[in-house]
Amino acid sequence: MVSVKDYAQDSHTITWCPGCGDFSILASLKKALVDAKLEPHNVVIASGIGCSGKLPHFIRAYGFESLHGRAVAAASGIKLANHELNVIAVGGDGDGYGIGTNHFVHACRRNYDMAYVVHNNQIYGLTTGQTSPTSEQGFKTKSTPEGVLEVPVNPIALAITMGATYVARGFSGDLVHLAKLIQGGIEHKGFALIDVMQPCVVWNRVNTFEYFRKKTYKLEDEGYEPFDKLKAYERAWEWKERIPLGVFYKADAPTYENGLPQLQSGPLVKKPIENIDIENLLSKYE
Amino acid sequence: MRINNMTFKAGGEAGAGIATIGSMFCKLAQRSGLWAFAENDYPSLIRGGHNTFTARVSDEKIWALHGKIDLLVALNARAVMEHADEMSQRGVIIYDANKVKKEDISVKRADVRLFDVPLSQFAREAGGEIFLNQAAMGAVVAVLGMQIERLYDLIEKTFATKGDEVVEKNRVAAKMGYEHVKAAKKQEFEIKIEPKRAGKTLLLNSNDAVCIGAVKAGLRLVAEYPMSPSSSVLHWMAEHAVRQEIVVKHTEDEIAAINYILGAGFAGVRAMTATSGGGFSLMCEALGNGGIAEIPCVILNVQRAGPSTGLPTYTEQADLRFALHASQGEFPRIVCMPGDAQEAFAETFNVFNMAELAQTPAIILLDKYIGESMQIVERFKETGMKVKRGKLQTDEQMENADKFLRHQITKNGISPRCIPGQKNGIYVCSSYEHDETGYTSEDAQNRIAQIDKRAKKLNAINPNTYQPAFFGNSKSTFLLVSWGSTKGVVLEAMKELQKENINIRFMHIKYASPFAADTIKQALQAASKTLICEGNSEGQMRGLIREKTGVLIENAYLKYDGRPFTVEGMVEKIKSLMQKGEEK
Repeated sequence: MVSVKDYAQDSHTITWCPGCGDFSILASLKKALVDAKLEPHNVVIASGIGCSGKLPHFIRAYGFESLHGRAVAAASGIKLANHELNVIAVGGDGDGYGIGTNHFVHACRRNYDMAYVVHNNQIYGLTTGQTSPTSEQGFKTKSTPEGVLEVPVNPIALAITMGATYVARGFSGDLVHLAKLIQGGIEHKGFALIDVMQPCVVWNRVNTFEYFRKKTYKLEDEGYEPFDKLKAYERAWEWKERIPLGVFYKADAPTYENGLPQLQSGPLVKKPIENIDIENLLSKYE
Repeated sequence: MRINNMTFKAGGEAGAGIATIGSMFCKLAQRSGLWAFAENDYPSLIRGGHNTFTARVSDEKIWALHGKIDLLVALNARAVMEHADEMSQRGVIIYDANKVKKEDISVKRADVRLFDVPLSQFAREAGGEIFLNQAAMGAVVAVLGMQIERLYDLIEKTFATKGDEVVEKNRVAAKMGYEHVKAAKKQEFEIKIEPKRAGKTLLLNSNDAVCIGAVKAGLRLVAEYPMSPSSSVLHWMAEHAVRQEIVVKHTEDEIAAINYILGAGFAGVRAMTATSGGGFSLMCEALGNGGIAEIPCVILNVQRAGPSTGLPTYTEQADLRFALHASQGEFPRIVCMPGDAQEAFAETFNVFNMAELAQTPAIILLDKYIGESMQIVERFKETGMKVKRGKLQTDEQMENADKFLRHQITKNGISPRCIPGQKNGIYVCSSYEHDETGYTSEDAQNRIAQIDKRAKKLNAINPNTYQPAFFGNSKSTFLLVSWGSTKGVVLEAMKELQKENINIRFMHIKYASPFAADTIKQALQAASKTLICEGNSEGQMRGLIREKTGVLIENAYLKYDGRPFTVEGMVEKIKSLMQKGEEK
């Protein structure tokens, strides 16, 4: 039996700020992996750069700390190379919805079998407080002293329209609920986005724990069922007064890996590469 | 009468099938036991513009075009007008009498002969415009005194998968072209192709050769975004993906492409991307990630004329310094520059081994010129090709691993490497500087230790695998140096010089990193006259050699007009330098 202890990375000091929402995302992820009964050596966590990017160092599983914005692209390569691995990408709002948007939306379309957990604090933390793609209009930051002019990215609506087959929002102030959402995403066959509202206790004084505690509610508590794409899309736009948490959308669809005949006999990494026969390739040029 | 030694050209609008005529001609030459080298020239557009395909055939091995055009197939008036001056004495121009009016063309040279063949009409009669290529080929076969059955055989082999009807229509078109020329009883052409027996050969370009070398090396994942002149690699790989059990992903951009192959390399799979300079520019940041995180992967850059969009369909060798220094910071990388299809195959295989041995990215530099130029080479030999995976640990080894250090400091800098899925190997593969475990570290002493460790790795590669190749007279005091695709033109120029009893020495550099500095220095010091030829304006290899050996190559012949070197230009340059010496 796998336990939380198996995922404990005790030798590394966690360098997040005291009170940061990232701690509970880490705890939720560990709980989700244990509840999903996955062994650490079969799990790969790919991250980008930012506060969220450090997560692989604080959990005992294989990690790939890539470049800013590239977590999903690197995770895609890992998944295609060995689709028997459980691949989880983690990132931040700047990382995934700003510099890495391109990889995010295309991974949704492809429906790779992986989970993507986004630490969404609506601010750039590690670079000391600039606007993020999910910052609300009018929000004042170091790079937008007069207030943000553009509308924020809506990651839930974006993921639904781009073809993701599991789209959820969690809150780092509710660990047990978040762990369930992440576990659901890991166990889902296809691309799962878990957008996590994660207040930055240093740089964001608007979207605080208090703010989310007041505004959030759980979709399942209102009898919402996540199987209708258009209804999900409608819910995705609910924000100002009440903020929904839970699974917005879930669908069964073939994964990208399923569509590749090359992978049906096993993962690429297990195919022998010694003495490959190229006779048929050469004879074409004779 | 000239037998089995000639230059053929086809010219017309883009989209008119010039490349098809050209490749049919080359295949016919191959099936006739001859050698060939062929270049294509085209602007960056899909329809219209002016495309040409030029092929030289010979009964001895050849590595470049040389000499005037003996036979031209002109599909429009522009092709006649533009190339009439390039014709050899009494050369023949076959033109499409339905498309080109006699009054629109004026060929000043009285010796050049014009054959009007109603190619479009024959094509339509055979079944449609698409068969024009075969009508032209039929005419070509007749002019060159070949048996039409040879073309029929080729048509059958080429179109067999498309069904009997397609084969038959092609055959009908070819027959009409052939019989028209025969019936016109034009004066006999002085050049003939007489098929002979020969050993097994391959007709392919260097992009194809890289693909085959990569498959042989155990390639399993390709991630690529299309960019001329590298796109044929994506097409080739996609076509062979299922059968060869390779996953080929056309990604959203080049940044994704290189991050996919980094992920795959980390996960234990041999992976590659192909691009040109612009795409490679986008990959720079991730290249450094491969360097610091010690991930083997292979990047093919088929160079085109830059900077920026530059001349997208023309050639250049100006990315050498870029490949050597791309990405911030310092890390070892392999930079290989094959000179022809044969080398492209062999060195690609070699490079995959090197990348995995040194656990670092490898860059292969081709260019538009050899990337797309078809040539006939000896059938590739596979003897001695052994996949070597360096310190990659087996599952059994990892079962017993204890406190595994992925970035362990070792004598030669190479650490044992495990992959996800293996027990007892858990670590974080990081773009940050890290300690031996992989954990982020900003400690000064650790930083020095990891930089030094990585820098040492290239020394672990057997020097015999990256030595330059030498050709010509080893005792000559005239040493010509070049790298990459310039090799073929130099070899061809040396053949011409030999006819005048001039025998120079030629050093072809195949690797810029690791760099065979000792061998290169010795060769330069043994020469009294040195010349470097490269396709850029700054003399990038000349500078690199000076940096690594302290020796300045006294003369440089640089070409940066987007076109490859010519044999004529090379011969002239070498001769003028030799004369300069005699005057002293």
